[in-house]
Parts: sequence; structure tokens; C-alpha cells
Amino acid sequence: MPFLTHGSYRIRYELDGPANAPVYVLVNGLTQYAELWTAYRDALVARQFRVATFDLLGQGASDKPALFINQDDQVAALDLLIGELGDGPVFLSGISFGGLIALRYAIARGERLTGLVPMSCFAELPPQLFLLGNALRTALILGGTSYLQDLLLPMNVSDQWLKPVLDKLDSVKRQGWLINDVYALQNLMESFLDFQPLTPQLSLISVPTMILNGEFDFLTPRALHETLRIQIPDSSLVIIPRAYHAFTLEKPALTVDLLARFAEDVLAGRWQGNKAVWIAPEEAGGALAPFPAGYDHLRAIPTQGTTT
Amino acid sequence: MSEFFGPLDSEGGVPPRQQTRVAAFLTSAHGALGRQFAFALPMKLESAWQTELNAQFFRESEIVSLLFRATTWVPDVALAYMATTWEAAWFPHPTEGIADQSLAMVVDLATRAHAVHASIRPAALLPVEANAHDPFAMALRRIEFENGRLLQAQILFLKGAELVPFRDAVSSALERRHAEIRKLWTEALEGVGITNPRAE
Repeated sequence: MPFLTHGSYRIRYELDGPANAPVYVLVNGLTQYAELWTAYRDALVARQFRVATFDLLGQGASDKPALFINQDDQVAALDLLIGELGDGPVFLSGISFGGLIALRYAIARGERLTGLVPMSCFAELPPQLFLLGNALRTALILGGTSYLQDLLLPMNVSDQWLKPVLDKLDSVKRQGWLINDVYALQNLMESFLDFQPLTPQLSLISVPTMILNGEFDFLTPRALHETLRIQIPDSSLVIIPRAYHAFTLEKPALTVDLLARFAEDVLAGRWQGNKAVWIAPEEAGGALAPFPAGYDHLRAIPTQGTTT
Repeated sequence: MSEFFGPLDSEGGVPPRQQTRVAAFLTSAHGALGRQFAFALPMKLESAWQTELNAQFFRESEIVSLLFRATTWVPDVALAYMATTWEAAWFPHPTEGIADQSLAMVVDLATRAHAVHASIRPAALLPVEANAHDPFAMALRRIEFENGRLLQAQILFLKGAELVPFRDAVSSALERRHAEIRKLWTEALEGVGITNPRAE
């Protein structure tokens, strides 16, 4: 298990796939760990990508700073990892908290990236997300990691995913419970206490950017992704049908196909962001459909509106 | 070596030798914290924060009481040496980098309590097949759950405004405490066939 060193801390990472291939770097969300990308690693390697996964500081097998975890340190750790990858094309993708770290990296070190895929992501903490985040932190404090997982699971995935595992939720949660420590998760959550919106800096992201948002994501809803679409010049927004916040867990085949096609399009010079809004196919390999012209993609009912 | 207790007995119980070693370590660590909280606790509370000190004292005592009653104790010849090492580690030392000695002692106690409550995960040693109705297993779950709550007082204090001028000293002391206590915990577990996945 290789480690990078950032100050006195160690960051666990893994590289798979051909050494000279374009690289996908995948960044975990809160309570996640690198092994959750296994299906992505296998599928991307099969499509001739190299894949870099790692555990954020405070999670998984990486060190867990005892008192504070600064988001700048996460960006520095990510920079160390990308520094290991040579000079070839690098595509960076992250989900939720990991998406935020990916955005920060793209703002700070965009010249090192070939493409960016923020998923279930946010650049601001509007009142609903702020209060949800506070409530989740309180849940962690009062009820531990298990209670936090209890609250996150129904936000993250659909009834269809949950129904077959309802009688074995403890085993679903166990690895995340084992590998995460309360104090470390709390430190990660408290790294938002001095959070400043990234919105004013998003226009600095000049690389092709595909923003992925679950159709039914109510933790980080459409409006938060719309901020990214509006502000990032070469971007497009892709809505994942029937998906919630953690569609990377629920729809890995579809998501990895979208990631691979995005990178292939960018490398072939076919990518055009145009701040367009798309609807992803239901299954991997299907065609993306443009969001119907004249309708407001921020609404849940078909309301006519203008796309900015 | 395994990351979990075992092999379990036919009823899913943890082997008494492993129970004894783990309970002895936890009794030593929480007992020391209880004693030190008791020493710091005035007969008459004068500040609101001292109510938390009272709570910490009684919950540490509860943990020790629970372990005494829930554990199947057996003789462990290594305990004499190990317990001496543990007790020496709990001995108070003023935190370096803080000139106010009384504050330095309080920070020392808080860092030790943080390390015990945060980095020792006894319930994480229970394998899936452990008997959920076994008193020892239940005790470990209660202790780990309670640790998460007790920890909040240490987090509030160590991250608080009063210690902002000493943040580097506090962070360094806390990281050292975590490493020290992880090492003791790892050694205690290794002696009974358990490997600590959080070992350095």
C-alpha cells in the first residue's frame, strides 16, 4: 500500500492501469474510502486509462489529523498525487466533498488538468445545505458514525437500491463505520466552519468541465450545480436520471461510461461545453439528450423558462 | 493475527484472555482519566464548564465499573509489566510551549482524554458474528459510543478561543498523545493475537 507524505501526515493512494495512458484521478466524498472506486478503476483501466485513487486526509487508511483538517491540506495532498503521474493528460473527478476539493484544485492548479468532472458538488453553502451540514454534524456528535450513515443513506441512494438491503443495513454500513473515526469525520465537517464560497473563482477554471448532478439529489440540488455551469466557461451540466446524491455508488456503469466518454471527447478535440444542459441516458452506452429547449432545468415540473 | 477478536466460542463470546487484556487496558486508561477528573473537580462548582467535568468524572467511573462487571477475567502474567507501562504513560506532564503551568496541565489532561476517547475503538474489534447479547460485547459498544460524546468536551476545549495562541503546541501535543496511546493499544492487542489496523 503506497503512501505520499504531506508534512507529518501520510496519504494512502493507489495507481492502476498503463503507465503512459491518460489518467483519471478520483476523489472520495465524506465517509468514503478508495475501495469504493473499484468498479471505476476496473472499467477505466479496461478502456485504457490509468486510474489514481486515494484516501483523503482524515479518511480510510490515510492519516487522521487529530484536531484540524484544513481543506488546503487536502488540495496539497491531491497535488502531491497528481505530481506522481508524470506529464500526460490528467482528468480529475470528485464527488460531493471530494468534488469540492477537485474544484479547489482546478482553481489553484488548473494548468495541470486536461478535464474536470465535479459530481454532486457545490461551491457555496446556501442555507439549506448549511443547515443540513450542521444537522449531520450534530448527528455525528450525538449518535456516532453509524447515525450519520443512517441519515446519509436515504439521501444518497434510491428506494430501488435500498429495498433489497433493508434487512442488512448494518453490513452495508460496516466497512464505512470500521474505517472512519468520529473525531476525524468531525474534523472534516468542521473544515467548513470558515468556508468561503468558491463562486467568484470558478471562472478561473478554464479546462473542459462536465458537471454531473442526480435528478433527485436533494442534498446538493440542481441550483448548486447551476452555479458551476454558469461560472465555469467551458462547462456543461449533465443530469443523471432517477439518481440521488451518491449516484457513483448506485449507477457505476453509467457514471464510468460518462467519465470515459468525456475524456475521450476532450482528447479527440470533440468536446464542446457551451454551458449546455444534457440528460444522461438511463444505461451506459446510450446517447445523451439535450434538455428540452424552452423548459427550465431548475424546476421539477415542466415549466417554460429561458436557459442562461 | 486478526483485526478482530477470535476465535469466538460456540455462543459468539470473546475469548476470556482477549477480554482480560482489552478490559485491563481500558480500565487503566479510563480509570486514570477518572482519577484526574476527580482531582480537578471542586466540591462546589464555580463555573458552568465544571458541570462537564463532573459528567466526565462519573462517566469514566461508569466505564470502569462496567468493565469490572462485564468482563470474564482470567490470569494474564503480562499484565503486571504492561499495567506499569500504561500507568506511567497516564502520568501528567505539562504541555510544552504553554508557559502558564496550570493551563499546560489542563491541556495535558485534555489531550490524553482526547486520545483515549478518539483513537481507541474497542467495538471495532468485534467481528460480525460476535454475540450481540453478550455483556462484554455490549459493554465495548457502550464504551465506544460514550467515548464519542465524552470527546466533545475535549474538542471544544482544545479548539476553543483560549488556546488559539497555543494552537501549534496543542496540535503537536495531541498528535504525540494519539501516537503514544495508539502504540500502547497496539502492543496490548498484539499480545493476544489481534493486530491494530490503525497501528503506525
